[in-house]
Formats: sequence, C-alpha cells, structure tokens
Amino acid sequence: MRPSDLVAMSLGNYTRARLRSALTTAGVAIGTALVVLLIALATGAEDNVRRSIFSIGDLRLVSVQPFQPGASGLSAVPRTITDDTVSQFKRIAHVEGVFRQFDAPLGTVVEGGEDATIRPQGIEPGAPVDRGDLIAGRHLAAGDRAVAIVPGNIARLIAPSAGGAVGKRVTMRIGGAVKLGSTRIGGSGTPRDYAVTVVGVFDEQASQTSMRIPLEDALAAGAENRGLTPDALRQGTGYSGVAIEADDSQNVADIVKAVQELGFSSFSLKQVVEQIDQGFGVFRGILAGIGGVALLVAAIGIANTMVMSVLERTREIGIMKAVGAAPGDIRTLFLAEAAYVGVFGGVLGLALGVGGGQLIERIIRNLNPRANPAPIFVVGPDLALGALALALVVALVAGFLPARRAMRMSALTALRYE
Amino acid sequence: MSAPLAVEAHDLERVYASGTATVAALAGVTLAVRSGEFVAVMGPSGSGKSTLLNVIAGLERPTGGTIRVGGEDLTKLDEQALARHRSKRVGMVFQAFNLLPRYRVVENVALPLAFAGTGRALRLAKARALLERLGMSARAEHRTNELSGGELQRAAIARALVSDPAILLADEPTGNLDSANGAALIALFKELHAQGQTVLLVTHDATIAAHAERTVRMRDGRMVD
Ligand SMILES: Nc1ncnc2c1ncn2[C@@H]1O[C@H](COP(=O)(O)OP(=O)(O)O)[C@@H](O)[C@H]1O
Ligand SMILES: [Mg+2]
Repeated sequence: MRPSDLVAMSLGNYTRARLRSALTTAGVAIGTALVVLLIALATGAEDNVRRSIFSIGDLRLVSVQPFQPGASGLSAVPRTITDDTVSQFKRIAHVEGVFRQFDAPLGTVVEGGEDATIRPQGIEPGAPVDRGDLIAGRHLAAGDRAVAIVPGNIARLIAPSAGGAVGKRVTMRIGGAVKLGSTRIGGSGTPRDYAVTVVGVFDEQASQTSMRIPLEDALAAGAENRGLTPDALRQGTGYSGVAIEADDSQNVADIVKAVQELGFSSFSLKQVVEQIDQGFGVFRGILAGIGGVALLVAAIGIANTMVMSVLERTREIGIMKAVGAAPGDIRTLFLAEAAYVGVFGGVLGLALGVGGGQLIERIIRNLNPRANPAPIFVVGPDLALGALALALVVALVAGFLPARRAMRMSALTALRYE
Repeated sequence: MSAPLAVEAHDLERVYASGTATVAALAGVTLAVRSGEFVAVMGPSGSGKSTLLNVIAGLERPTGGTIRVGGEDLTKLDEQALARHRSKRVGMVFQAFNLLPRYRVVENVALPLAFAGTGRALRLAKARALLERLGMSARAEHRTNELSGGELQRAAIARALVSDPAILLADEPTGNLDSANGAALIALFKELHAQGQTVLLVTHDATIAAHAERTVRMRDGRMVD
C-alpha cells in the first residue's frame, strides 16, 4: 500500500466518526496543553531564578571566606587569609585570577550626612565586584590612591545627579558611630577622616551601603583604626575575602574542592545554580507528572475510541483482507488513525497551552501591573517539539493494541460479523 | 509439459472443533480445475462448498491435504503471502456483495489495487475500464446504496477482476438476486469465461450450474459421483 493511499484512507476513517474523533482529540489536546502549561510554568520560574542569580554575579567566580570549610552561621570557625594563602590559591589549576578584598570598618561619607553610612571595601583593580555596573566615571585603576567608586544613592546625596558626583572630593569618616536606617551602631575605634575623590558611580542595585576604594587605602585605614601596621593586619587579621576567577565555569567545582582542601570555606553561584537546577528538575518532573496523568487519561480515551473503531469496522476489515490487504496494512491503517488523534491533539494542545499561558499571564499583569516583568510561562522549541512528540507517542501506544487486534482478526470471522 | 492447473486440491480437509464435537467441513476433497475452465460446485447447504472456496481463496487454512492454486502450495504461505495471493491470483465474489458503503463504486472496484500498491490514477482508470466492460459505467461514481442488487454484484465482479486474477471464485453470487438479475449475472459469467477467464462458481441451483462447462457435486465435505 502506498503512503499517500494510507494517509488518505486513514484520514477518511478519522474524519468519518466526527464527534468521536473530535472528543478523543480534545482529550489529547487538554492533556498536552496541561503538560505544556505546567512545564512552561516550571521553566519560567527556573529562568526567573537563574536570571536573578546571573544578575548577582559571574558563574566563574568562587568567593573564599575566612572560615573553615562547612562553616555556617554561629558555628563558623575563623581562618586567616594571608598573602601566603593567596599565592596558594593562585597555584590551583584553572584559576585565572585571584582578587583580595579588605573591608575597612563601617563609616560615613560626611557630605551625605547620616544617610551616607557606608562600608568601604578595599579591592584590587579589575576585581569582579568592580565590573560593568557603572553609571558614571570609571572603575578602579592600578596605582589609584585616595579614590572611591560610590553607589548611585550616595552620589545623589553628594551632588544633584549621580554623574555630578564624579570628580568631587569628599570626606570619608571611618569608625565611630553610624546610623543604618533607624538603628544606631556603636562603631569601632576612633573615627578618622580621609579625603577621597569620587572617580566613579556604580548602579546602586549592586549595593547601596558599600563603596569601592583601593585595597591599600582600606588596609591603611583598618590598621589605623586598630592601632596596627598594615603588615600586621595582613598577617594577623587577614583579608576579608578573596574572589577567585576560574577560566571556565565548568572548572568551578574543582576549584571549590581545592580551596576546601586548603582549609577554607567558599561560595560559588555555579554550585547554587547546580542545586537549583536539581531542585527545578524535581519540580518540573512533578508538574510534568500531573500533566502526564491527564495525557494518560487521554490515552485511555484513544484506546477506547480505537477499540470502538475496530469493532465498528469489523466487516470492513474483513472485506479489505478478503481483497488482499496485508495484515500490516490493516495495522498501519488503524495506527495512522490513532496518529491523527495524536498529531491534531498535540498541535491543538500546544496552541492551547501557549495561548492559555499568555492569557493567564495577561490576567496576572492586569491584576498586578507591578508584577515581575519576566515571563511566567516559557515555551522553548524543545518543549514544543517534545509535547508534539509525546502526544504522538501516547496516541501510537494507545492505538497499538486495538490496531493489533484489527490486524489479527480472521477475515472470514470479520466478514460474518454483523 | 502442461500448464499448471488453476486449482489442484488433494484430500483437502478442514475440521472445525466446536467444544468437544468436531465438524469436518471438508473431509477429503480432491478437485482439479484447468485454466480456462468454468466449473460449478453444487451441493446441499452445509456440504462444505463455501469452505472449499474459502480455502482456494486463501481466506481459510486447510487442516489436512494439499491445495495448489496456479501451482503455488497455499499451505506453505504465511499471512503476508496469503494476502498477496488474495490480492493477485484470485478474485472473490460473495453472496452478500461485501462492498464498502462509504466509497463510490469505482473506488470499491479499485480497492484491491490500492492494497497491491497501484497508484490512485492508474487504479481508478483500470476500475472505470472494467466497469465499462461490465456495462456499469453509468454507476461508477455512485455510492453503493444507490445501486440495485444486480448492479452491486456486477460491481463486486468488477472488483474481483480488477487485479486480473487467474481464477474468479464466486460463492452463490445469485443468492441475493431475483431470477432475472440472476440470469443476467450468469450470462456475464459465461461471457467472461468465453473471454478466457477461469471461473469456479458455487451454487445449489441446478439451473445455474447447468451453464457451467462442468459441475462437481459435494455432500458432507466430500465430492460425490
Ligand atoms: N467457522 C466455522 N466453525 C464451525 N463450523 C463451521 C465453520 N464454518 C463452517 N462450518 C461448518 O462446516 C460445514 C460446511 O459449511 P459451508 O462450507 O459453509 O457449507 P456450504 O457453503 O456448502 O453451505 C457446515 O456444517 C458448517 O456448519
Ligand atoms: Mg455456503
């Protein structure tokens, strides 16, 4: 039998029992739509979380904290990060850069008044925190001293516009009491003033309460605050943290392991993302399972329809066999009929799922115009194709037994059937 | 060296088991039909005529004996090959017409060719030509429910002949027709035979059997005489 005849004949069978075919197809469509909708929801949620994570930082980064591995909260056991440690980090394979950071004591930008409470972070030029988030001015450069890159909110306290703050000389008071919101913090040591020039303004979404200053300046201020020399501070207190940059995010796990073996606790977004991926895999699986139940019900519907169809056409099967239809022809005819249910149901369900997702999304946006603008339902090409394939496979599996029954029917018995 | 016989049955048996009892629809039938012959099979109801025809048509498998059609041993064929046998070598006409009501007459006639893999245009052309030969051109595009019994059976004969079968098998083809239509149909069989078609026709009506070249009689699953 030719494929074109097969298609025409089975399509004729599909369209003949119009109501029944339509209902069965609707069942598949609803099941498919549910699978699409639920997986799209899970994908949307995952994309959303991933996007927020990516906005926090680079997946190639490992930030080392001055604690022993496994440290968390109150049980954390401190460990000192010295320059020796830093050179050990530099020797770890796949490490592209190591950036030290020293956080000076909490202080205030005097020109901004009490609202300008700030943590001066001493960083090295090119440090990952100081990348690509400028509103005005420039990033920290090699050889810089007595400069600061401040967040937009502080810049606007200094000058009418964020850009206007660039080039301004301001007084940075370190130590002493500060006010954070409505809380007064006692502060450490004697307050001292330092004159710094604002060279850059960064987007305050990164941080509203920290500014970036050269590492050497922060060490000097921290030492002075505690009455130490900067060298003693390096050796005794150590750095606040180190940012290690991997050559590729694939190697982050290895670096984390090496850092742990050196006795330091670390944090990497990459590992968080991996855990989130796992979590979302489970989430998506559960949602897909719920949709799958709907598809299973649809499959039973298809099987039932096909059984009816075979029964109803018993005589016809007998006639076809009598005039030379091969067993395989009969089976393929019925399987093709089931396939139409799958294909039409799948396409309809996909459209229904996508359209339904957009409708729900529009309703949510109307109810809450300030909702997160990221899409709630995400249907990628793999989900679309997967849903179509699933509908087809479900239909073929459901049609298999009835089709086999038709194939195995004895022609004479079928001809006698009334 | 002679051409293979159209049908060659030897000690053919077909036993049905129904519960504990067994019925031998064929209890050792031996029959030879030469190519080009017009043979009538006669016998009372239940004597095994239909079973014999169904075995020859490849619709039924014998439980014993041998059956060759056009030289091919049907007992050696699998389901697939039997389907091909039905499609290519034999054409079957039933008492109950057995046309598909949802197709037009010409499509019904062309149906065997569809399963044989012939393209649509060619098979419809062949079907139309055959309907014309049988005086059915006017009915080609009709649905089967618009045809009379005689016309339905002509359409069924056209369908049986569309694959140019070596043998035309007819199981009481006039059973559902009035005598005038029955006579016309027998005339058609004679005409086909005159054009060289081998015909094996089952009937319990002696006046119809009289038109055949040769008549064999069955009783209780055996040939008599
Ligand atoms: N499928 C079957 N199962 C059981 N018995 C059958 C079957 N087909 C035919 N028979 C029996 O075989 C015998 C011959 O039947 P059949 O060949 O139809 O006779 P005829 O066509 O001469 O009337 C009858 O007794 C009939 O009841
Ligand atoms: Mg009979």
